[in-house]
Amino acid sequence: MLRIENLVTSFGSVVALDGVSLSAQDAKITTVIGANGAGKSTLLRTISGLEHPSSGTITWQGESIVGRRPEDIVRMGIAHVPEGHAVISELSVEENIIMGSLFRRRKFKSDVSAATEEMYSLFPRLEERRKQLAGTLSGGERQMLAISRALVSRPKLLLLDEPSLGLAPLVVEQIIDSVNILCRTTGLTVLLVEQNANTALGVADHGVLLALGKVVADRPAAELKADATLRAAYLGY
Amino acid sequence: MNTFLSAIFSGTARGAIFALVALGLVIVWRGAGVVNFAQMGQAMFSTYIASTLIINGNSYWVGFVVALIAGAALGSILDILVMRPLSNKKKTELLASESMRAAIPVIASLGILGVLQALAGIIWAAEERGFPAPAKQEGFTVAGNVMPFTAFDVFVITSVAITLVLTTLFFKKTSMGLGMRATALNQEVAKLSGIRTNRTRTLSWAISGAASSLAGLLLTPSSNLSPNTLDLALLIGFTAAVVGGLDSPVGAVLGGFILGMVISFVTFYSSPEDVFLAILAVLLIALIIRPRGILGSKDVRRV
Repeated sequence: MLRIENLVTSFGSVVALDGVSLSAQDAKITTVIGANGAGKSTLLRTISGLEHPSSGTITWQGESIVGRRPEDIVRMGIAHVPEGHAVISELSVEENIIMGSLFRRRKFKSDVSAATEEMYSLFPRLEERRKQLAGTLSGGERQMLAISRALVSRPKLLLLDEPSLGLAPLVVEQIIDSVNILCRTTGLTVLLVEQNANTALGVADHGVLLALGKVVADRPAAELKADATLRAAYLGY
Repeated sequence: MNTFLSAIFSGTARGAIFALVALGLVIVWRGAGVVNFAQMGQAMFSTYIASTLIINGNSYWVGFVVALIAGAALGSILDILVMRPLSNKKKTELLASESMRAAIPVIASLGILGVLQALAGIIWAAEERGFPAPAKQEGFTVAGNVMPFTAFDVFVITSVAITLVLTTLFFKKTSMGLGMRATALNQEVAKLSGIRTNRTRTLSWAISGAASSLAGLLLTPSSNLSPNTLDLALLIGFTAAVVGGLDSPVGAVLGGFILGMVISFVTFYSSPEDVFLAILAVLLIALIIRPRGILGSKDVRRV
């Protein structure tokens, strides 16, 4: 389980996370929703070690991970798919996937190739394009590749930042479905950040509503989805 | 043998060395985001180490191998002691802008160059000394004619070719090479993938250091060794890298050979004094016509 308490992260005088507390239960999808600038991406970036919090604790499986480097945090089973379909355009599809498992190649040699093959069966379109440069892929394929890059590290917790950004609804549905199936079948814990609240709450078990760096609501997803007052106040529809 | 063929042969051998210098620059630029103006200062320093060993009775090859190792070690040390602390510094007011953050390591590399040249002057005195070649520097004789091609040229071209093949294989075929390319292209994604980017950056400084030490060893037999000998080589290598594309290793090699030919033809048909002017002209033309270089990618940062 991931447990966050009173997390504060600021950039200069701008406080992006202002005492955030939440947790992500094992083998469940927890979604963090909120408007642009609510601090959602900063939350994921602080968990994965890209940003350093000024105070607060992040505990993963009973161990504090604050102050560790991203390279070490991924080794503890936390994989982060950052915002904006983060793949390396100049590398091939295959190289992008392999890159995610480079750190495991010595200890788990056979599992690394098995994991790569699993990614191709999860997203067959990537296998068709394995030799192509990632820069030539469509937005949806890039997102699939970014997720695959994270999944080949065999994470126990997947941090997913706005996978729906800039994608057609059908593609979003396909990607969210894949993540949902992974969670239900393999016990992957997912922390999903989304601006698209309906999609996210539709698939999640638990929902956290973030506004201006503070937690406004922390409830079962279905309950949050049904609360028209909160939605109108914080998401604007 | 006519002048034209002589110029071609001489241009190939020189071009090979400049390709090496340019490759060293490209590796550090891609791997660590720094245009390293100290590179040939590092090469000068390790060539002095080789020279000292050889003068004290060791064989050429002992000096050769030690210089390559010293080049790699010096590159790593500079990265760990100077560049890593600079690049890991938290964003402060001064370092707020992206271009300022990019400029600081480059300025630091100029400082390192000055320090290395001054140190070499203190340790080995500033007077010029000769540096041996491992093979004859007189042209081959075929049917009584002296060819414009020496055994040393063969050695130069062979050792550069081996280096180029090895670095290409390393970057394309090994896991560590993939990790280095990933770090060069997108540090954040590389870190999130578990790649220890500090280490891969140091490794690129080490590889570049060894490659430019080799260039130093191959250049000094035909000039002389002094703290400033290799300054011109840096300018040529930098121009070669710009011509070929600062982010393209293949482009760097191509640029090296182009510069080798330009210099050789200017030397043979005009005079050696015009070489400096010719290099600057090539640099200027390249920057005006194709600033990203022949094989460079579009979104290369301005330096």
